[in-house]
Amino acid sequence: MFDGIDARSPVPLYAQIAERVRLAIATGALGTAAALPSVRQLATELRVNPATVVQAYRDLETQGFVEIRHGAGTFVRELAPGRRARERSHHATALVRKLLADARRMGVSLAEVQKAIEDEVGVRTP
Amino acid sequence: MSHAIEIEGLRYRAGSFELKDVDLHVPTGSIYGFLGPNGSGKTTTMRLVLGLLRPLAGRITVLGNRLPEDGPRMLARVGYVPEQPHLDSTLTVRELITFQAAFYPTWDRPVAEDLLRRFELDEHKLFARLSKGQKAKLMILLALAQCGELLVLDEPTDGLDPVVRRDILTALLEYVSQRKATIFISSHLVHELERFCDWVAVMDDGRVVTEVPMEKLKQGTKRLVVSGAPPPERLGETPFVVLSRERVNGATERWIVGNWEPDMTSYFERVGASLVDVIDLDLEDGFVELLRSFRAARA
Repeated sequence: MFDGIDARSPVPLYAQIAERVRLAIATGALGTAAALPSVRQLATELRVNPATVVQAYRDLETQGFVEIRHGAGTFVRELAPGRRARERSHHATALVRKLLADARRMGVSLAEVQKAIEDEVGVRTP
Repeated sequence: MSHAIEIEGLRYRAGSFELKDVDLHVPTGSIYGFLGPNGSGKTTTMRLVLGLLRPLAGRITVLGNRLPEDGPRMLARVGYVPEQPHLDSTLTVRELITFQAAFYPTWDRPVAEDLLRRFELDEHKLFARLSKGQKAKLMILLALAQCGELLVLDEPTDGLDPVVRRDILTALLEYVSQRKATIFISSHLVHELERFCDWVAVMDDGRVVTEVPMEKLKQGTKRLVVSGAPPPERLGETPFVVLSRERVNGATERWIVGNWEPDMTSYFERVGASLVDVIDLDLEDGFVELLRSFRAARA
């Protein structure tokens, strides 16, 4: 779930960790009431500051994805219907934005990107 | 914000080496990375923090204790791992642990035993016969079992193999997740520090180049590709700090800037230039660029 967390990225590590958890919740890899790793466990596994994990979990709690039960751990909350799908579509948008930004940087045109997607997927867009 | 270490106007001299007006503020509970080239004054600063050297001027406060008066009281609460091991090489691992434990009323035996096992150290082996990695692990064990509120670590993992480094980092991170301790750590392994430090200071030639939260340094330092910018003398005031600029080809230049914010792109339109690209820098790039501009400004 946390493979490829990148300390060299300008996206802060807590935001990267929170995003991975949201994605896991959105895809169902983490179901309702599933326990997240403990702060200590995740900090040592990822070799990051425990405070970074605490901040990620707090942000997830503020956003309503998890519940922090002191002394017990951090658990996935029951989500409103449609929230998982909305979260997935949010990630899809982020992926496309990144793709377009990379294409612009590399000097690849929009039409070329679109054609490549059509070729890969095997479907033509009108 | 309370500070585990506070240094103001510190001066020190030994031969031709000098620390000049060093100010540092290590927040309580932070993991604070101390960067700088060899000979920049990191080890000397750490030794001053521990009261092992006497400053010419300045104020040093560690865990609320003023140095030098409160030095002994402070040392009881600080774990120190020096760059070079300072242990008696004719003693065994077990003897060294027993010896060290005697100095600290806060010594935690179960922690020492747990680390001894996890680090796979042979308690009967003489210190002189330990490998470099085993020596480093023993030093960490002694510093952690003392249960200090502050750990001063002088390049604790530099020159070690990745497996040993990981064992040591795991032990350190477990320690801070259980005890809210402060870590003041120097290292040349910038990518390692990048993962877990919340503050960084950079030293060069006995001076502090910068002291800044890690996130701010990383998000604020960028490489810009700029086209058609006015020459430096007609640039006027910029909302960011220009650390360096160099011509790539024609009217295109590469700028390294600090204190960058996303909404500053409009500046380039105002001066009739165009911003072609904004490229993120990692900590190592940012560190090298900071040093380069610091040296250029002083040359």
